[in-house]
Amino acid sequence: MRGFRISMFWWVVITLAIVYSVVKWAIPALSREITTLPFPLPVPGTLMLFYMVLTIVALFLMVTFSDEGLESFSRPIRRLLRGDFGQPTAYLVLLAVPFFVGWQVYEVVVPKVEVPVSLRIQHPSSNFPKKFEEMKNPFSNPTDEAITAFAEAAKEGEIAFIEQVVGDIERWEEESEPDHVLEFFPTPAMTALLGEIEGGEIEPATAKAALIEKNLFEGRALYAMNCRPCHGDSVAGDGPMADGFKLRPINFTDNGTIETIVEGYTFWRVANGGPGLPTEATPWDSAMPIWKLNLSDEERWKIIMAEYDLAQKTPRIPETH
Amino acid sequence: MARLANILLFGVALMLFTAPASAKSVPSGPKPEFTEDFIEQGRAIYFQRCSFCHGLLGDGEGPAAPYMDPRPRDFTLGTFKFRTTQSGELPTDDDLFRTVSRGLPGTGMQAFDNDLIKNGLTEEQRWQVIAYVRTFAQEFDNEELDPVKTGKLVALPKERAPFNADSIAKGKAVFERAKCWECHGKEGRGNGQKAFDRKDDWGFPIRIRNVTLPWKLKGGAEVEDIYMRFSTGINGTPMPSFVKALSEEERWYLANFIKSLQHQPTSHQVLKVGRVEGGLPEAANDPAWDAAEPMDVRLTGQVVVAPRWQNPSIELVTMKAMTDGTDIVFRLVWDDPFADTTHDEEQELDASEISAVGAFNSYVEGDGMVPRKLETFRDAVAIQFPTKPTTGTAKPHFLRGGGSNPVQLWRWKADEADGERGGAEEAVARGWRQALKPQAEDKQQVAAKAAWADGRWSVVMKRPLATEDRNDVQFTAGNFIPMSLNAWDGSNGEHGLIMSVSTWHYVFIEAPIPMTVYLWAVLAVLVTGGLGFWLRRKAVAYSPQENEA
Repeated sequence: MRGFRISMFWWVVITLAIVYSVVKWAIPALSREITTLPFPLPVPGTLMLFYMVLTIVALFLMVTFSDEGLESFSRPIRRLLRGDFGQPTAYLVLLAVPFFVGWQVYEVVVPKVEVPVSLRIQHPSSNFPKKFEEMKNPFSNPTDEAITAFAEAAKEGEIAFIEQVVGDIERWEEESEPDHVLEFFPTPAMTALLGEIEGGEIEPATAKAALIEKNLFEGRALYAMNCRPCHGDSVAGDGPMADGFKLRPINFTDNGTIETIVEGYTFWRVANGGPGLPTEATPWDSAMPIWKLNLSDEERWKIIMAEYDLAQKTPRIPETH
Repeated sequence: MARLANILLFGVALMLFTAPASAKSVPSGPKPEFTEDFIEQGRAIYFQRCSFCHGLLGDGEGPAAPYMDPRPRDFTLGTFKFRTTQSGELPTDDDLFRTVSRGLPGTGMQAFDNDLIKNGLTEEQRWQVIAYVRTFAQEFDNEELDPVKTGKLVALPKERAPFNADSIAKGKAVFERAKCWECHGKEGRGNGQKAFDRKDDWGFPIRIRNVTLPWKLKGGAEVEDIYMRFSTGINGTPMPSFVKALSEEERWYLANFIKSLQHQPTSHQVLKVGRVEGGLPEAANDPAWDAAEPMDVRLTGQVVVAPRWQNPSIELVTMKAMTDGTDIVFRLVWDDPFADTTHDEEQELDASEISAVGAFNSYVEGDGMVPRKLETFRDAVAIQFPTKPTTGTAKPHFLRGGGSNPVQLWRWKADEADGERGGAEEAVARGWRQALKPQAEDKQQVAAKAAWADGRWSVVMKRPLATEDRNDVQFTAGNFIPMSLNAWDGSNGEHGLIMSVSTWHYVFIEAPIPMTVYLWAVLAVLVTGGLGFWLRRKAVAYSPQENEA
């Protein structure tokens, strides 16, 4: 048995090393295993301090519990200092330890140069006007009048499109000579409408679905013209302009973005852009334009409609009181 | 048994000969059959995802198209740029699959692979949309033009020299001999041509790519991709195929050389100001600059306010800075194929028509709205700083600040480079709505020195660290001073707010370490050392009573 015993001194050293390694490397490694994220969970610096102090207190109690323990702990140190392992070793340790401590003290007191970190709140609500909270997108929820008017127009084959898409549709009409202008929509909603027009009787539900489809088409075109350069054609915040901005354009396919806010909030954000943000959302870094300066309410609502559709997300429902 | 062996052999041969141009963006299985139903599915996807750029007719004339350069592809001509087929041939379906999957970097065509982008298209959807896109050009129906059936393919070489100094040097020799530099410039910065005197098949002026910026290489930035570009040529452009002029081996060396020209930008956001004793560098090529740490600043088109611009020429400026304790000097280096040193204010765009609600669009068209030619507008660059010292992270807006948050710009103009202060001018801005307001003549303290060579501007700007003017930024050690850039390439039609812009970075002058820090460290050494030797004395004194054998 005696052959396996190690002195209290080495006990203390090994225990400290094990506790340190567990906190420093094992916990982060384990956290990566558990979370399967490509980075470890952060271990706060105070945690290390806390564990090390606890360990040292426990070891101190154990060492000073008996005279034998204290003796077993201090003997190797005494022998080293006395020169039992050679005088050069003793002097080396006597010099190395103070310099190591000095270096550590220097590291602690030297002024650290750190880039100012801006903690940013993504959906600030401190200046969000309440009147937007329950706003509904009039183009994804068309009124009965709008639906009737659209059905009438569809019957006549005289659909009023926004001017931005007219050119492309006209060239298509010239080339394809269709029976009805809406034939370029390869979607079930529009096919159903065209079928009913032929039958002579249009159901309001069919007309509504088709009108939403038409609004969505215009919204997508406006998105491609205005928003795509930054937010990308797959609404992933990765457009051709995106890499130039430190604060990257929002990725709408992310679960934490447009899904977690009400439609009225999106409308308000698109209208007022970066400069309309409160300070906690670092407006000075945001490249989001103040779109109310360039786009009409109608254009912005249609864009928002397309955005949610392309991202396959639905807005949060306003809370009713 | 023999049959099995044949099948195996065939499989191996297939793998060898159809080695993909790039390991990525290849279909996982065989191409599905393009049935009518399949094409119809593709039509629905095209309508939703592609038509706004490429047009309902596939002619590249969708509503978003006029604002982009390069323009979206016109599918009706059957001319495709990025292929693995011989010059002038149609692309293979796999070529189209690759383009749809990974996009064309540096253009509006983005990746649609749903492994890369959550809302992209599945492999099947990509095949469907390709099946539909093929219907736009009748050439695809002609079996005699099918590059797979006619065998007019270009394969990667079987022997591929490794990417090392030797093959790069050999590639450089090929670059010289094949006269690639006549168009692309000696350093590959697209500065070989004398003017925009050539047009592509669609009538748009040729703007030669700067091959040193990997994120701008449409056909991909890997050696395999580069090899394909000069082996297949780029259809519809003056870029020829070098299959006949150069051997496989030579082309591979050349691809290695082009790869070696690529610049990998730094990612830090802080420009550390180097300290020099005795004399700051005056010229851009002063060897003293070597000691300073570079910071690459990424810029992009100014799309924040009208007139918006999504075809910026300058996307990277490399900065260095130095101080001698009295003055600070910045060096800005960026690629620009032409030195534009004249400015004609009369040709500037009146943006009011595209700036209001109800305007058709607030972006500037790529072609026609502003002249994008030589001798029209000047090249320029500006460093922007907040006028007032910033607290915490709060700053003025990166686009010219605002009413209560003014910014100062040190603007250098190429057309005035021979004049006073080397073309530098200090100006104040309070938001983008007003034009820059130059500071009073006696408050102008920035002096510039500029040089243009081999498709690259180098501009040095110098000013005292501290000034008396309250509109000036003051440089003090130990503070992070926000800094951003504006840049203009005149022959790209850029002037006013039609420019490249960066968001905020920082300038930092290191403060000397205070003496107390050293004092504490020395004290720690002395105390610990003293304690150690005291313990040693105790240990020696203790030893006689101990019995340790």
